[in-house]
Amino acid sequence: MSKLFRIARAAEFESLTAFREFIDTTCAPLAGVDEALLYDLKLAVDEACSNIIKHGYAGMNPGSVILTIAPQPDRVVMTITDFGRAFEPSPLPAPDVDAALGGAELGGFGLYFIYQTMDEVDYETTEDGNHLTLIRRIPHSRPS
Amino acid sequence: MFRYLRVKRQPEKAEPEPGAFSIDQLTRDPALPAALRHLNALPDNAKMRCYRALLPPDLLIQFGIDPLSWKGASGDPHARLVADSQSGTVHISAKKDIESTDAFITIELSDNSFNGIDLSLLLLSDPNSPRFQTDYDEEARPTLFGTARRHLAEEERAMHAGLAPAQVRSGLGASKQVLQHLEIFLTALGHRSYFLEPLTYASAWIFERRGFAYVRGHKLMDDIHKEFQPGGRLHASLDASTPFRQIDQWRTVRGRAWAIHDGILSAIDAQWTSVRMVKQVGRHAQVETFPNAAF
Repeated sequence: MSKLFRIARAAEFESLTAFREFIDTTCAPLAGVDEALLYDLKLAVDEACSNIIKHGYAGMNPGSVILTIAPQPDRVVMTITDFGRAFEPSPLPAPDVDAALGGAELGGFGLYFIYQTMDEVDYETTEDGNHLTLIRRIPHSRPS
Repeated sequence: MFRYLRVKRQPEKAEPEPGAFSIDQLTRDPALPAALRHLNALPDNAKMRCYRALLPPDLLIQFGIDPLSWKGASGDPHARLVADSQSGTVHISAKKDIESTDAFITIELSDNSFNGIDLSLLLLSDPNSPRFQTDYDEEARPTLFGTARRHLAEEERAMHAGLAPAQVRSGLGASKQVLQHLEIFLTALGHRSYFLEPLTYASAWIFERRGFAYVRGHKLMDDIHKEFQPGGRLHASLDASTPFRQIDQWRTVRGRAWAIHDGILSAIDAQWTSVRMVKQVGRHAQVETFPNAAF
């Protein structure tokens, strides 16, 4: 049985630093996890939590976001739970970077980054909250 | 790099069918949650068999009450179940002495509009501790836990005796035990979580320690903690203008709770309303909005 690590914070942007530090503390010691993989984990959680903060809890005093990390020998499984409005993380087309650089409204990158950095994404809405599970495999040997 | 996306969404839950459980319903998918309305429509003895699980047997025995019959040594009933058919609410209370006005445990559960369960009321009072008349004002009108009106003199006595707002006696110290039984009961009914709206800051803090997270109000709890620190607006409002706003009250959960009960949140343009908490069955959320707190 793998050990679970859990942190809960209010759904606000100030909490993102705590989530990043938690990922560092929990995942950096794992065999096979290098700086690049850590960066991807933090990027995916950052984007997912930003989505929850901006949309899930919009218009109310924000509730909790719970990040659970279950490290396994060959993968890192991260689950983000919230109790706000559910959203469907349907696969999106790549955002139009040219339009964004040209001054158009920025946005749409969050889910794209999640899909780009994770091997599996699983979203489930149940009676006990919205659960976004992000899985990233740990390569045992990386090309030098 | 993304290889696999799976989206699962529970099917929309059907409105519970009226009437009691049938064998047909019981043999359906056991993961589908059952409503209290189903249990309440059962015959009285069947209801009793189900709801009896909500009262921890060792707690009843501690007060000389038989955990099966709910009767005391004299044979009189000491616990009461109110679960009207057609209703989606169950109310259970138990008293040490049947003549007593106060129960040492009161639990009320209700079906909510999302086919989940709300813990509407949980009162755990030590019947052997001194009683304070904070539940009625000077004109004998109910205060509704100090929310509708207040009995200031009694509240001050209660505060100095170590009680939190809305308490008439000291706590029973059994919330962990009672909530464990509640989770077992709800799991049997097929529920993965339950909800509550904490009456006071002190009760929210206790429920955090019992593993609850916030559906609404986590940021409010963070703001309260931040503003009670020296230099914060709530700290500055502890100006001894009332007995409930003494300077040192920021240091404890109870002290903060009394100041909030006294309306101090107006200093940050907030109110103690709309806080809603959730407990995921079997999981501790690890929420801690007042780190290293003293009660």
